[in-house]
Amino acid sequence: MTAISRRLTGARGSRQGMWMLPLLIALAVALWLSLETAQFLNGENLLNLVPQAMPLVITAVGQMFVILLGGLDLSVGSMISFTTAVLALGGPAWVLIPAVFALAALVGFSNGFIITRFNVHPIIATLSTQYILLGITRVLRPVSGGTVPDIVISAVAGSFLGVPMPVFWGIFILAVAWKLLYGSRFGLHLFAIGGGVSSGVEDAAHNFGIADRRNIVLAYVICSCFAALAGVFLAGRIVSGDPNVGLLFELDAITAVAIGGTQLSGGIGSLHGTVIGALVMALLANGMNLTNVSPFIQTTIKGAILLLVVALQSRKKMGL
Amino acid sequence: MVARAAETRARATEFPERSGACFVKTLVEMSDIRKAFAGTAALKGVSIALQSGSVHALMGENGAGKSTLMKILAGVHQPDSGAILLDGRQVAFHRPKDALEAGISTVFQELSLLPNLTIAENMFLGREPTTAFGGVDHRRMRREAGKALAELGLTLDPGTLVSMLSIAERQFVEIAHGIMTDASVFILDEPTAALNAADVEVLNRHIRRLKDEGKAVVYISHRMDEIFAICDTVTVLKDGELVGTRSLAEMTPAALIAMMVGRELADLFPQRGDAPGPAMLSVEDFRITERSKPFSLELRRGEIVALAGLEGQGQQRFMRSLVGQYHPFAGRVAIKGKSLPLPVSPGGGVRRLQAMGVGFVPEDRKEDGLFLGLSVAHNIAAALHSKRSELALAAGYQRQIADTMSSLAVKASGPGAAVGTLSGGNQQKVLLGRYLAADIDILLVEEPTRGVDIGAKSEIYRLLRDFAKKGGAVLVLSRETVELIGLCDRICVVHNDTIVKQMPAADATEHNILDAALGANGEASGAGGERR
Repeated sequence: MTAISRRLTGARGSRQGMWMLPLLIALAVALWLSLETAQFLNGENLLNLVPQAMPLVITAVGQMFVILLGGLDLSVGSMISFTTAVLALGGPAWVLIPAVFALAALVGFSNGFIITRFNVHPIIATLSTQYILLGITRVLRPVSGGTVPDIVISAVAGSFLGVPMPVFWGIFILAVAWKLLYGSRFGLHLFAIGGGVSSGVEDAAHNFGIADRRNIVLAYVICSCFAALAGVFLAGRIVSGDPNVGLLFELDAITAVAIGGTQLSGGIGSLHGTVIGALVMALLANGMNLTNVSPFIQTTIKGAILLLVVALQSRKKMGL
Repeated sequence: MVARAAETRARATEFPERSGACFVKTLVEMSDIRKAFAGTAALKGVSIALQSGSVHALMGENGAGKSTLMKILAGVHQPDSGAILLDGRQVAFHRPKDALEAGISTVFQELSLLPNLTIAENMFLGREPTTAFGGVDHRRMRREAGKALAELGLTLDPGTLVSMLSIAERQFVEIAHGIMTDASVFILDEPTAALNAADVEVLNRHIRRLKDEGKAVVYISHRMDEIFAICDTVTVLKDGELVGTRSLAEMTPAALIAMMVGRELADLFPQRGDAPGPAMLSVEDFRITERSKPFSLELRRGEIVALAGLEGQGQQRFMRSLVGQYHPFAGRVAIKGKSLPLPVSPGGGVRRLQAMGVGFVPEDRKEDGLFLGLSVAHNIAAALHSKRSELALAAGYQRQIADTMSSLAVKASGPGAAVGTLSGGNQQKVLLGRYLAADIDILLVEEPTRGVDIGAKSEIYRLLRDFAKKGGAVLVLSRETVELIGLCDRICVVHNDTIVKQMPAADATEHNILDAALGANGEASGAGGERR
């Protein structure tokens, strides 16, 4: 069992985590779908796949930052719903769009602050945030409705120079995340903090003189802002505010990160792995829809996948 | 910087004492350092001066304060009082990074590199060079790290993850880190504990190089042969106090051991028991690891037997393999004639042993032994409860609890007081009381008096002796040799995962225990090949 788990997630010689396997899984799922159903290879379905996967890719990439340092953010699902609700409040776009990101940064800051200063376990801290945000969202918008600013809709559904907008979103998100993770000291310090946590020496990075608390807070801010970005994208797709649109998104995002080879104990993982993990999840969802699997059973299957992936990880610290 | 260099020159001419080619000057002076942990004094006013171009051995028994002193110099701990002078200037280190920046590099027993970063990243962590675009300049990091590694004659790729390195290589990387930061003081805390003979040779070569370059090296080790092979000066600590500093040229191993011992047996201990009865616990052909030599041990009724030896020589692993916390390689264990299959399962080990009448008192009473937030009564009754079925109604056990508290003279406001509020000695009594209240007749005790004041120590010794006199048997593991001599009937000295010597405690002295524990008589000088 440990041999299997090491091969799946083991990162000897690299801290990228095992991302080859999920890539193979993604290809296998795509192959299965194209053999199983005629609709999969249909041009319209393939064109739909990118915008379908985009919110999960964005959320998962944000979640990855927090998981890399040995944390977890359960509040991203509520953050997404909250963002759509705020965007559907009605008002000028130049107020609403900056507002959702400012609020997301605030939520992320409070998550990080509570975790680092009051030593609250990340799961508990962000679970509380999840409920707090959920309540506020339901006050703002008890049922789905309202309309979001036109610019949000056209930024998602439109196209530029003949290229559909979601492609630009994808490039933008990956560029930002790549710069943060691999092109900055912050990214290296994330790995350092996570490496200390997962090897059981919480202060290791701190002892090297890294501002660990500040970096942790920043990671939670990034995670929340990415979730808000996913919320803006979703709002553009559904053209309204919906208090339930982000429901269980945190679970999908964590599963995607874990499938992509990122260790939930921290310190090991990669951006490309996370993107592949999110694509696997999106392909599975697409395939289950095409093969008429009940949405209720889909939730069960996703939960089982998370359990399986995490059980195969050589976990150490968080007890996850 | 210039001023400092000038001052250094001035100091050097002021003290024109020559040793070989370079000037000897005092790089670091620690004076009257005091440090207490949770009320227990670890250092009671220790002073030490480190000279350039010299390897300074730091010796003393376990718990003498060597590591604490060096952790203070490395910025891990802060002293309660005393001064650290660096090049004659007083400094204060608040965290390890401060010490590193001041030129003090440390290789600790427990390594401090991050396993998921590369060698180069570890060496530059916290002060990475950046490129024009604000990214980390990996190329420069690798180049400079490679240079530092090459200086040590290492051919490691700086892009290798530290998790891929052997322990020896990690230590060399830490030394290279020190070289790259231009450290002037290198602290090596038992660097050879995990090295094989060939790596020790390489390490010694590196140490001599550092010495030739005029660095000051502090070398903590228990191995006599190494100390005499590479060190120039030795400072001996005992019980947190300075015994003395000598030049090794004028010392012999015997004289050094005498320095480390030299203390009178305190009048703390109860009278020893009569002739022991039949065997309660017998261990045969026990091998802790694959490579260790087999040994046998018998614990008899009415007897207190000690496991002595230097830290980490296997005595704790042996004790813990009896309760299932460690998987030994091989051996046969019988408790009161009933054989105990090895390995003992970690889940049910302690519980099963309790059913057989064996109690295990772990070293760390706060973490492993007691439920600090629960009452004295709950803590004492825990072992009583564990003998009953899980679903049985909990019995009150008021009488047993009251009896235990009064017979052990536990000082607490009452049975309801939380154990965490008691003093260390009383906590330890409660922990012992748990097993004395249950019908236990074999006690396995780790560190019976750690962090306990002298009065309580004496009471605990009396309790253990009474327990043995009433027909129990005790196996004790302790870092304090004096305690073992005074308390026990027989002493088994453990070295290199095996019992190298058994002696009646009445004839034992700290000197001959330390002698056997250091492996000074024959066997250990040849132990180089045996090292793991």
